[in-house]
This record gives sequence, C-alpha cells and structure tokens, in this order.
Amino acid sequence: MNTNSNVYTIVYTTIIVVVAAAILAIAAMALKPKQDANVKAETISQMLTAAGFSSKEDLAKLGNDKILEMYSQNVKTAFLIDAAGKKTGELETEIGNIELQDNLKVENKNIAKGDPELPVYVFEKDGAEINVIPIYGAGLWGPIWGYIAFNANCTEIVGAYFDHESETPGLGAKIKDEAWFREQFKGEQVNFKNPDDSFDIIKGGAPKDDKSAVDAITGATMTCNGLDAALDTWFKAYMPFLMKKAGAAASDDSCCGDECCGDGCQDKGTCDHNHEHNHQEG
Amino acid sequence: MNEDLKKTLLNPIFKGNPITVLVLGICSSLAVTVQLKGACVMALSVIIVTGLSSLVVSLLRNSIPNRVRIIVQLVVVAMMVILVDQVLKAYAYAIDKQLSVYIGLIITNCIVMGRIEAFALGNKPIPSLLDGLANGAGYGMILIIVAFFRELLGSGTLFGFRVLPESYVPNNLVILPPMALILLGCIVWVQRSIQKDLQEK
Amino acid sequence: MEYISLFVKSIFVDNMIFAYFLGMCSYLAVSKNVKTANGLGIAVIFVLLCTLPLNYLLNKFVLQPGALSWLGESFKDVDLSFLSFILFIAVIAAFVQIVEMVVEKFLPSLYSSLGIFLPLIAVNCAILGGSLFMQQREFLNVGEAATYAIGSGIGWWLAIVALAAIREKMAYSKVPAPLKGLGITFMVVGLMGMAFMTFMGISL
Repeated sequence: MNTNSNVYTIVYTTIIVVVAAAILAIAAMALKPKQDANVKAETISQMLTAAGFSSKEDLAKLGNDKILEMYSQNVKTAFLIDAAGKKTGELETEIGNIELQDNLKVENKNIAKGDPELPVYVFEKDGAEINVIPIYGAGLWGPIWGYIAFNANCTEIVGAYFDHESETPGLGAKIKDEAWFREQFKGEQVNFKNPDDSFDIIKGGAPKDDKSAVDAITGATMTCNGLDAALDTWFKAYMPFLMKKAGAAASDDSCCGDECCGDGCQDKGTCDHNHEHNHQEG
Repeated sequence: MNEDLKKTLLNPIFKGNPITVLVLGICSSLAVTVQLKGACVMALSVIIVTGLSSLVVSLLRNSIPNRVRIIVQLVVVAMMVILVDQVLKAYAYAIDKQLSVYIGLIITNCIVMGRIEAFALGNKPIPSLLDGLANGAGYGMILIIVAFFRELLGSGTLFGFRVLPESYVPNNLVILPPMALILLGCIVWVQRSIQKDLQEK
Repeated sequence: MEYISLFVKSIFVDNMIFAYFLGMCSYLAVSKNVKTANGLGIAVIFVLLCTLPLNYLLNKFVLQPGALSWLGESFKDVDLSFLSFILFIAVIAAFVQIVEMVVEKFLPSLYSSLGIFLPLIAVNCAILGGSLFMQQREFLNVGEAATYAIGSGIGWWLAIVALAAIREKMAYSKVPAPLKGLGITFMVVGLMGMAFMTFMGISL
C-alpha cells in the first residue's frame, strides 16, 4: 500500500482522529461521575470548614461519600437569592441529589451585570443557625475564592475558608495555608454602614477596635488586596439579604417574608402584604 | 538483559539526560518543582505519557503517511495526556487542581515529541517503550532534585513534612521560579564537571 | 483603556518566558545570535496572533460547557472541554504548517537558518500555553484575545532577543568550562527572570 498517496493519507488521518476522539469520549464519560463528586465534595468541604464543623485536613481523610453525608445531615436549607435579597429558588439538599451553586466565576460576572443568582447555605450547629455564603475574586496570578460563615442573624462572622488557584506558594497561598489568617475573621462583622467597602484587609495591621478589618499577610499584599476587593464585591451583592437578616430594615421593598416583617418592616409600617410571600421551607 | 536494551534504559538518566543534555522539557520543570509532591506527580505523568506515546507511535510507524507525521504524533500524545488528566481529576483532584495547565503542557513537552521523532519512529515497540520510560525517568530525576532543594530551602519541609527546625526562616527567593533556573544551572555545572566530554567548547 | 493595559500587562507582567517559563526549549536553543532570535520571535508573534483568537472562538462556540447552545436547546448541557487540548493543538499545528510553507517560499535564508525550530513552533509551550491561559481568563471578546496574543508574542520576542544579545556579548567572557553554554545560560535567564519580577503585581 502506498503510504504517501492522498487517499491513504486522508483515510488514515480520519481513522486516527475518530479512534482518538472515541477513546477520549468513553474515558471522559466513565470518569465524569467521580470527577463531579470530587468537585462537589471539595466545595462542601470548604463550606463545612468555614462553618466550623471540621477542618479541611480531617474532611479530606473522610472520602467523598462521608462528606456529602455530613452536608446532608447538617444543612437545614439552601436557596438562591437575587440582587435585592429576594429568594428566587431552592437548592436540593437530600443526599444523592445535592445541588450547589458553585459556578462562582459566572456569578461574579453576573454581580457586575446586576442580575446574579447567589446561593445561601443554612446549616444548623449545636442548635444555632449558621449562614454560609461564597465569595470570589481575582488574586495576583489567578482566581481566589472562599466561604464566609455568619451567625443566625448575620451580625457576626463565625468562620471563613479561602482557596486559590495559582497564588505564590509561601506568600499569597497563605490565605489558604495559614490558619491564623482565617481565624482572624471569627468575631468580625460586615460594616453595614459602608456597603461599598464593608470589609478591609489592612497591610501593617488592622486597628484592634475595628470589627470590620483584619491584618493582611506580609509579602502577600496583592493577593490580600484581591481578597479585600472580592469580599467588598460579594458582601455588597449580599447586602440586602444580610441586612434583612440583621433586622436593619434597609430597603423596605425587599421585605418580603414573614421573618423580616417581624422586625424592621413592622416598625416602618411598610411591609407590603400584597407582596408574594416566600415561605421558609424545611 | 542485552547490551542495547540496557543502554536504552540507562543513557537517558545521566549521559543523555533530556533536561541537562538534550535541553528538552525545561518549561514545566520550573513551574512544578516548588513542592516535591507536585514534582513527583508531574514526573510520573511524563513517564507514562512518553512511554505509552512512544509505544503507540512505534507500533504505527510503518503505516503513518509522511505528510501528516507531526499531526498524527500530536494526536497520539494529546490523547495520552488527556487520559492522564482525566484520571487525575477523578482520583487525585487536589493535585490536579495545582498542576492543571502544566499537565496540558505535557503535550508540547519537547521530550515526548523529541523522543518520538528521534527513536520511536525508527525502532521496534519494546525498545521504544523503554526509551520513552527511561527519558521520562531522567526528566523526573532532575525534577525531583530541583524540587528537593526548592521545598527544603523554601519551606523547610519535604513532602509536606517539616524537616528543618521551626527556627529556620524559609528562603522565599528559592520559591520563586527564577531560582529553579539557577538551580538547573548548578546541576548542569556539577554534571559537566564530572562528565568532561559534555563540556562545550 | 482596557486594551492598552491588557497589552502592556501581557508584555511585561505576564511575560511568557519570565513569568511562566513557557517556550523555553526553542528559546534556549535559538538564542545564540540576535538575527535568528529575531526571526523566531517574529514567527512566534505571528503564530500566536493567528491561533489565539481562533482558539478563543473555538472555545466560545464549541468547547465550553453550554457553548453548543447555538445549535439548539438540547445541546445546552454538552461539555466538550476535554477536547480542548487536541483541538487547540490541531489549530496550532495547521497554522505552523502554513507559516512554514510561506517562509520557505518567500524568505528562504530565514528558513534555512531556523531549521528544525520552525516546525517546532507547533510544540512551543508558549503558543499552547497562551491558548490555555486564554481559556482560563475568559476574555470578553475576540479583540481582547487578539491583544493578549500580540502582547504575549512581543513579550516572548523581547525575551529571546535580549538573551541572544547577552549571549553574543558573553562569548568574550571567561566562563568556567563546565558552565559554558547551557549552564551559564540557565543562570542568566534566571537572573533576567528575577529582574522581570519587578513588574509583578503592577496594576494598570
């Protein structure tokens, strides 16, 4: 057979390409469930660490199934909200069917556009409610993200977890590797009075009496600046929801459920009962 | 084992080392050598990809049309790399996240293509497989040496376990990529001092 | 302006050689004199400029999860991103083949001085790396992708011409025998990399 003839060349190349694509498609399909489970378990581990249920290292030893189980057992409810803090959908939390809103890159863009679909995960720990929200932004070399856990009325941060894709090891990577950095967030608050810049990570050290500021990491100024910006952006996007929870009665037309009418709205007398009520489920 | 096979296996480790002698595969060796764990995974991936690609191309060597030679090689190599990447994503997710772009770059890792062109196209399957594995191993060895120094001096740990005492202040310069190049320069210096016939005029 | 800052950033801050160390093999081998380094650098700029926007479109309309939705609603969930490596490399290989044919016909002296390294552009990590970084960074449109491509190419060209200039001058220095050639080149590139780190983190 003349291996240099045109017909042979074309037929050969076609066969090779088809065989390669077939092998890859089979492998990708076969491995996809495991890959998706890995991604889900990773997201959940980060949330559980932020909420204080366990540490990332301990969770890593448990294996995907146990992590998903832990989520199902400890989560009370999970839902999506829009830019006004209004509930727009539910996220399934039954084991075997766990839904997460973990496309943070897309939601980051949607926040800028003004129509995000933001997730809130409500856990129950020792009888108290913990609200966990994600944050996402740009570090020095690549994306950074994390989860912030609030107490029941969102007036205090009870835990945080941060991760990154390609920050410098030993410098920017410390946002993930150093426990002291995350521990600082415990007891801090989102500054409702300054929605555009509601949290600060300060180089050189944050003033001790500023409850909305923590110390930056020496040598990781750019990464910390990126994290600061990410926190500001996402806290601002969640602001209506957070303020509603804190009973600060920010914008009254976001008042839309029984639980908020109980506090802020009743005082101002503007709780609109004709509004469609989203009943708290679960 | 006969002399030829032995030579095929041992040559790429020292005298014909892909990184320090053939100057192939430099790119990824710098980026992934910050920690030993990443370096080992990368080394293993390159060994597997080089070995298997050389084997497959050698099996096909008499049927590949000359005009599309490079493209066929690329398809074979790309397929192996994607398979390795997919398996890592399923079974070693944490490491895959760290190495993401660099696993993809194994496709363009000159070692793989270089060995296919130089050896697999003209040799039988078993020697080609061995040549591929050996070159991958030579590459891996250099990677591990560089990563050893970078992790030890840069974080005081090896494979994540603290080795140097807490009072050791980590040398942050070593963690940065340029140091990997300087370390490579030192390794070449040592190797050529020992094997004088490798020295350039 | 967004484009200008992206352009300057991709030349200096995200320099393919000094920040990411991509494209090293041909970089080290061809930098012995400025003339060939120049030729290779320009070839790299050209290939990057042509392949990156093409791969961007490929990524946007074929590969990304949900990219095929223009074919119809039922394709919304199709995720072909596992084919990214192969398709990107195929586009690059095809383009390099074209460049090789053009250079052979119109610039024969350059063709013979570049030798094997012209087809090796196809496996130049910088070119594939550029496409892979483009995939990660999610540019807003083809214009941004093209700007990033030109900037990265110019950054690579700058690096290789600078190294070639240094190596030409170093031919007259007394380098210890075991270090001569490859060893000292590694160290020089490492030092240049450190110098380029001054650009790291500059936000424009």
